[in-house]
Amino acid sequence: MEFLEVVGSRRSIRWFKTWEKVPRDKIQRILEVVRLTTCPGNLQPWRAIVVERDELDEQTREGLLGADNWQGAHTQAPVWIYWYADPSVTRPESFQENTVELTDLGALPSAYGWSKEMIEASIQRGEVVQAGGPAINELIHGMPAEVGAAVAYAETVGACACATLAAVNEGLGTCLHMIAAPSKQDRVKELLGVPESVLPVWVQLVGYPAEEPEAGGQRPRLPFETLYFERSWGRPFPRDEEVVSQLTKERLLQQPMPKPGRFDELKFLSRMYGYPE
Amino acid sequence: MTFEAKPDTYSSVQHWMEVVNARHGLSERDWDERLTVLSSYCDSLGKDPDTIIQEALDERDSKLDYMRHLRRWANDQARGLQATHELQNVVRSFFINNGARVLTKPYPDVYGGGGS
Repeated sequence: MEFLEVVGSRRSIRWFKTWEKVPRDKIQRILEVVRLTTCPGNLQPWRAIVVERDELDEQTREGLLGADNWQGAHTQAPVWIYWYADPSVTRPESFQENTVELTDLGALPSAYGWSKEMIEASIQRGEVVQAGGPAINELIHGMPAEVGAAVAYAETVGACACATLAAVNEGLGTCLHMIAAPSKQDRVKELLGVPESVLPVWVQLVGYPAEEPEAGGQRPRLPFETLYFERSWGRPFPRDEEVVSQLTKERLLQQPMPKPGRFDELKFLSRMYGYPE
Repeated sequence: MTFEAKPDTYSSVQHWMEVVNARHGLSERDWDERLTVLSSYCDSLGKDPDTIIQEALDERDSKLDYMRHLRRWANDQARGLQATHELQNVVRSFFINNGARVLTKPYPDVYGGGGS
C-alpha cells in the first residue's frame, strides 16, 4: 500500500475477526517499524509486550480484559501489544551517551558544533552551547526526573502512532486503548511482569477487521484552516483545493463517515458477537 | 404497578425504541420479541420500566442490583448459554439506550480461546 493510502485508511478498528490469527511475521514487522521511528536523542524509551490472547491462561486473560473494562475490541482482537515507556532511559546521562554515539557515527555533524566535549560540557555542567548548536544545556542539564518521564511518555505515544500505521500497512486492523483504568494499572503490571517504574501508555489491539476496513468512513476532523497557521497564530494556512483533489485520488482523503449501511453493519456485528444494539 | 398490556406506552420504552430504530430500524417482529422479554423481566421485578430506569439512573447500587437480578432471571429461563446471553442483551439494550451504563460482554467463545 502506498504511504498516503496507509495514512488515509487507518481507522480505530473496534470489531475484529476474533477467530483469525495474526501471523507472527506481521507482528514483528510492526515492531521493526517502530524500532526505527523518530526520537529525540535516539533515546528509544518505548518497550512493548506482545500478548497472544489465545495463549493466555483464563485467569490472566480475564484479568487483562477486566482491567480494560471488557471493551469489545479488546475481547475480539487476537493480539494485544502493551506499550510502556521506560523513564530510566530518558535521563541526562542516557541523552549524553546517545548523542555522543550519534556524533561518533556522523549523524550529528561537527560542522554544527557537535562534539563529545560539547555534549559533556553542556549536559554535565550546563555550559552554554555555541551558536549553531542546540540549547541542550538548558534542556537536558539538570533535567528533573519528572521531565524525563514526560519525554519517555510522549515519545512512546509517537511510537504508537507509527505502530498503528505499520499495522494498517500489513493489512491489519488496529486500535489503541488505555492499558487499564488507572486503578487497575498495577494489576496489569503484575500480570505482565512489568517493573513498577515503567509507565503504561497504550495497549495496541491487532487483528483482522470484522467490520469493513473503512469502518464506516473517515472520522470527522477539524477544518484544516483551524489547525494550521501561517506566520502567526490564527492566520490560516490556505488549503489549496487542487492539492485536496490530488490527495483524494491518492486515497489520503476518503469518504467521511457514516457511509451508507454503517448502522446495518453495526447491527450485524452486534448480533454476531452477542452484544445489545 | 407491573409492566402489563402496552409496554410502549412507557416513556422509557418509547425512548429505547426511538433511539434503536433511528440507528438500526428494527422490524416489528424484532420489537415484539424484545418487548415480550422486557415485559417478563419487569414482571419478575414487580416494577414498571420507567421506575426501573429512574432507579438505575439515580443510584448505582440499584443499577447493579438490577443487573444481578438480570443474570439470575435469564439463567432461570434455562434456555442455554447463547439464549440466556441474548435475553440479557435485550434488557441491557433497554438500560443502555436510556442512559444507564452497564457492562456488556460478547459470547464467551469470542474471547475464550476458541470455545470455553
